[in-house]
Amino acid sequence: MRYVKWTIWALLALFVVGFFHYTLPQHDVVRVVNTYQERQDLQDWTRIFWASPDDQATGLINRDVQFIQTVRANGKPMVYRNEDTGWSWPPYFKFDTANLQTEADDLKSTAEAPKWAVVTHYGWRNELISIFPNAVAIKPVAGPDVRIVPWVNIIILTALALVLFMIRRMWLQFRERVVDPAMDDAADAWDRVDAQADEARDRARGLWGRFAGWLGTWRGKPRR
Amino acid sequence: MIALLRLAVFGFIAMSVAYFAMRIYFRSTRREELEKEWDAQNAGANADTGTDGAETPERDAYIEAGMKDYEGSLRRKLIWLVYVIPSILIFVLIYLTNYS
Repeated sequence: MRYVKWTIWALLALFVVGFFHYTLPQHDVVRVVNTYQERQDLQDWTRIFWASPDDQATGLINRDVQFIQTVRANGKPMVYRNEDTGWSWPPYFKFDTANLQTEADDLKSTAEAPKWAVVTHYGWRNELISIFPNAVAIKPVAGPDVRIVPWVNIIILTALALVLFMIRRMWLQFRERVVDPAMDDAADAWDRVDAQADEARDRARGLWGRFAGWLGTWRGKPRR
Repeated sequence: MIALLRLAVFGFIAMSVAYFAMRIYFRSTRREELEKEWDAQNAGANADTGTDGAETPERDAYIEAGMKDYEGSLRRKLIWLVYVIPSILIFVLIYLTNYS
């Protein structure tokens, strides 16, 4: 039973951490190599890892997606998709896909004369199921070892902690002011019922019962 | 535009839930504060009549008057920020993502 409990907690924690790891912005220092546009089939379950444009017909199963090919500071390749999030989830409100593609094109460089840039993105790269992180912004930086402080994540997670703390406070207040008094009332009511039952039993026991009870007190039994 | 409508509707519902929850919560904490204020001011004052901390009519009147003040106070009106802040945040986000 203990293992079941821990498994459920572990799965829940994994889901929450995974959700935030996917949704919150991350930064990569990269060198843009190329950009391209490719038709993507979007009819299987990996559909959830692609944007859902508002004006896309529901029956449409493939469309063109823009990509940004880069090499990271550690020499490993990384390919980003470049899609509008629009008004949907995750709430990046990104509408400037075409502009971002232009900026990426502008930053193209070779290994010999690298131009480094920081790509802000969310999402995961997985070769197995062909999913790509979505680039949100790109900004040139001086070199491959710039220090990036994740301010946005700090603010979002702090705000979230405050909200959870507030919900806890609200619940405790509600329990103190509404639930506990109601429980006390119920307990009082139950005590009254109990007392009435005792009285009724005493009355029902009659004369002989009371006499027997009195006799019992001589033998150290409490009178009931 | 369906997505915008969806955001507006669900955003409004979420903000309204937060607004009413906070309204109830802060009203409750204010009432508790008033109760404690009265009990602190009158501690021992009614010890002879045995109504110390009990719900006397004077105590009820004091709390009701305090709550009436609270209903018109700036502190209560600040709860409206639950609607204002997220809405402004969305505009700021749109600007930061697309125009800066």
